[in-house]
Amino acid sequence: MKNISIKFFIVLILLTFMGIFGFIFNEFFQEAKHSTQKLLEENIQATVLNIKHFLDKNLKKDNINQITAYLDNNIHGNELIKDLHIVDKKHKQVIYATDRDTIVQHINTQCVPISKIINSDIYEQQCYTFSIKLFDKFNPFYYQSYVYLNKEYLDSLLQNQIDKYRILFVSYGLFFILFIWILLKKFLVNPLEQLRQFAYYQTNTPKEFFIQELESIRYSLSLTFKRLQKEQEELFKLSTKDSLSGLYNRLSLMEKIEWLIAKGERSDDKFALLFLDLDDFKNINDTQGHEFGDKILRHVSQILLDCVRENDIVSRLGGDEFVIILPELKDNKTILEVLKRIQTKLSEPILFGTHSYAVTVSIGITIYPKDGRDATTLLKHADIAMYKAKALGKNNFHFFTENLNEEIQNKIHTQQLIEKGLKKGYFKLFYQPKVDIKTDKIVACEALIRLFDPQKGMIPPNEFISIAEESGLIIPLGEWIIQEAVKQLKEWKNTPFDNIKLSINVSGTQFQNPHFLTSLQKVVSDIDTSKLDIELTESVLINDFDAKFEKINTIKKMGISLSLDDFGTGYSSLSYLKRIPFDTLKIDKSFIDDLEKEQDKSFVNMIIGIADDLNMEVVAEGVESQKQLDYLASIGCEQYQGYYCSKPLPVEEFEKLFLSRKCH
Amino acid sequence: MRYFVALAIILFSLLLSSCTHEKQTEKPLTISTNSWIGYTPLFYAQEKGYLKENNIKLVVNVSLAEAAELYSVGKADMLTTTQHEYYAFKKEFDLVPVILLDRSNGGDMILSNKSIDELLQAEEITAYLEIDSINAEILKDFLKLYNIPLSKLHMINKDQAQIEDIQLPKDQTVLIVTYVPYNIALQKRGFQVLASTKDINSIIVIDSLCCSKNLYETRFTDLKKLKKIIDRSVDELMQDKKASYLLVKKYLGDLNYKEYIESLETIAWINKPSKELLERIKPLGYESRYILP
Repeated sequence: MKNISIKFFIVLILLTFMGIFGFIFNEFFQEAKHSTQKLLEENIQATVLNIKHFLDKNLKKDNINQITAYLDNNIHGNELIKDLHIVDKKHKQVIYATDRDTIVQHINTQCVPISKIINSDIYEQQCYTFSIKLFDKFNPFYYQSYVYLNKEYLDSLLQNQIDKYRILFVSYGLFFILFIWILLKKFLVNPLEQLRQFAYYQTNTPKEFFIQELESIRYSLSLTFKRLQKEQEELFKLSTKDSLSGLYNRLSLMEKIEWLIAKGERSDDKFALLFLDLDDFKNINDTQGHEFGDKILRHVSQILLDCVRENDIVSRLGGDEFVIILPELKDNKTILEVLKRIQTKLSEPILFGTHSYAVTVSIGITIYPKDGRDATTLLKHADIAMYKAKALGKNNFHFFTENLNEEIQNKIHTQQLIEKGLKKGYFKLFYQPKVDIKTDKIVACEALIRLFDPQKGMIPPNEFISIAEESGLIIPLGEWIIQEAVKQLKEWKNTPFDNIKLSINVSGTQFQNPHFLTSLQKVVSDIDTSKLDIELTESVLINDFDAKFEKINTIKKMGISLSLDDFGTGYSSLSYLKRIPFDTLKIDKSFIDDLEKEQDKSFVNMIIGIADDLNMEVVAEGVESQKQLDYLASIGCEQYQGYYCSKPLPVEEFEKLFLSRKCH
Repeated sequence: MRYFVALAIILFSLLLSSCTHEKQTEKPLTISTNSWIGYTPLFYAQEKGYLKENNIKLVVNVSLAEAAELYSVGKADMLTTTQHEYYAFKKEFDLVPVILLDRSNGGDMILSNKSIDELLQAEEITAYLEIDSINAEILKDFLKLYNIPLSKLHMINKDQAQIEDIQLPKDQTVLIVTYVPYNIALQKRGFQVLASTKDINSIIVIDSLCCSKNLYETRFTDLKKLKKIIDRSVDELMQDKKASYLLVKKYLGDLNYKEYIESLETIAWINKPSKELLERIKPLGYESRYILP
């Protein structure tokens, strides 16, 4: 079925009403017309009958003049009767006419006998006639009387009535339609239209309606929309705000940055992006639990909000990372002011219950458009700058620069190369001989890692070890080294190289790895562990010494010997030497380099003395000349390692060197 | 839904009322009559409510002519007539006598302020009568009976109500043709009865109820009811004249009970006509086939 508008529907209803109304009205009109007609009819009948009766009683043969005045008065006084003629039929003579000038005009008028007056339609008749019986003694004779009706008056009466009814019908009808229309429009059409608009736009809640059902719909819609709006707001909040801190989330931040970039492209406005990362937040979470960590995050969020201007944007990217946008940036002064406020505020200790904590942040700063023309780049560069700030000692900030970018890119490239190298075999172990000074024979070697970039060639360890440590790749890399070293020892078994002791370096990160011992134990399970030596630097032993001490003991129990690497450069704590059962002390190259100096000679003498006292072997690192070697031999150093014998060599060359029994 | 149903009912009622408000009961049977002792059964029935019960309306006029005129203009369906009115309207209105009421037996009369001898010697006689009624027939018979030339007569056409109130000069010889009950007032003023239908044997005055043939056919049932009413009324009023007098006296010029009894003696009821009567009036044009027995 085709839809129609409610207005059209109401018009149809009204037209139907008008039809019914018209029909009823017509019935009443016909009734009224009939009544009027009846009244007029009776009036005419009475008048005509009165005239007849008067004439019957008073008209004599020759007395017409005596009754003329009465007849004139009677006819003139009655609007319904236009004229009266009395005709002597026998002599064909009009003996009386009320309108004496217009006798001729009635000639063609049809007259109805008065006996039919009851059943005739007076509006159709023009004239009634009757005979008047007169007597001459007993002999009757007749005059014919004609009563002419005032047709114009009769018609006008009817027409007046029709006009009145027509006007009444039209005016009442129009008034009725108008009234109904106004009512329907006010109480039905308009409210429905308002409801439609309200349902469509969900704005401008209509006022209370008069009609109960419509009011119910309005109320229900209003409630539903309020609920939807609330849900929408909550959803929007969920989608744009961070649930923990109430700050903008990443998605919302990206939108705002994009908006600021679009605005900046039009107006050349600059803005700053501050990338904040809480220092050592992981420790807080690990030591105090996540609930406490969340409290810290909420606290920091509030501080950040307090420190920025009204139009600045503060968001939480996730974890302990925050981003602050400072729009409409004129100069760096604004940034520095905000930074100062943040650092000042954060430096105030946070008191949670009885616990007091101080939080610091590292902040990386990028400026649009200088440091990036899109949100991703700006964020990435700010992240780089933040890491640089962290690297500079935390609780610091750093602006992004191209050099920093290049450095980071290299670092990233190296990191990727390490990951790839572990999978594709870009790493190789080089072996540097350790030579017995007395016999001048190679008795041991130190396995040193080398990375070969397929494009750039060999990358020195100092360029990738620190990156491996930062990225955590040092763990798999360390495992690989152990595996390779063990593998090499297995290969050397029952060969001329069978007695070579192989040293590997273990980094602090690797050593702290809880799986380190398990992994080591598994790898060395099928070799002669007395052939394996692990070199540790002093820094590995700092912090939580007891736990590490246990690990060292476990390693020792495995039969693996331990060397203290780079001795003399760190704390050189004698307590370590006393408590940790190191087998070998390795004198750092820096002491060997400066052996000409008396002070360094004394240091080296002292180290060798201590090693003797503690029954430890001593290996001098970085020996590059016969002179250095001679001195070391003179003071009783057992082994040396250095370019004087050989640089670190690939395994094949090392084996050749070993077999040649000559270092130089 | 309730409101819709209510609205529909209202509309339907309006429609129904507009369609039905013109519906009326059947048109009453209207009888045009005049004051005459012979029409007492009609007056009685009217007062007793017999007519109204049967949707019959009675219109009482002052004279036969007035009654006839009312019928002639279509205001009445039936008419009480003497044979004079019957003849006059028979052709024009296709009139037939339906119910015979009475035969005048002294009810129609000629009064005068003079004795018959004085009347005969008078040079001029002023005669008051309803000239277009049975009065004329009675006057003619009277003139014929006493051989009074028509030239002596100055005739004045008045209805009985007018005649009743007429003031007459004492020296004038007046002759009035009248009937019961109009005679009573005139007789009280000194008029004497010179002749009546009781002693004028040449004329018979029959009063009947007439109607058109069309009405006879279309409302025959009503006519039969009317006939029963008249029969019942005649019986009742004759059985208890005192009671009937009290009911009908206002139709008869407030005559007293004695006058009422005397008036009743001037007529004879023929509402249940004998075959002989029917045969006798047949030559007068009373077709017996329409007369209800």
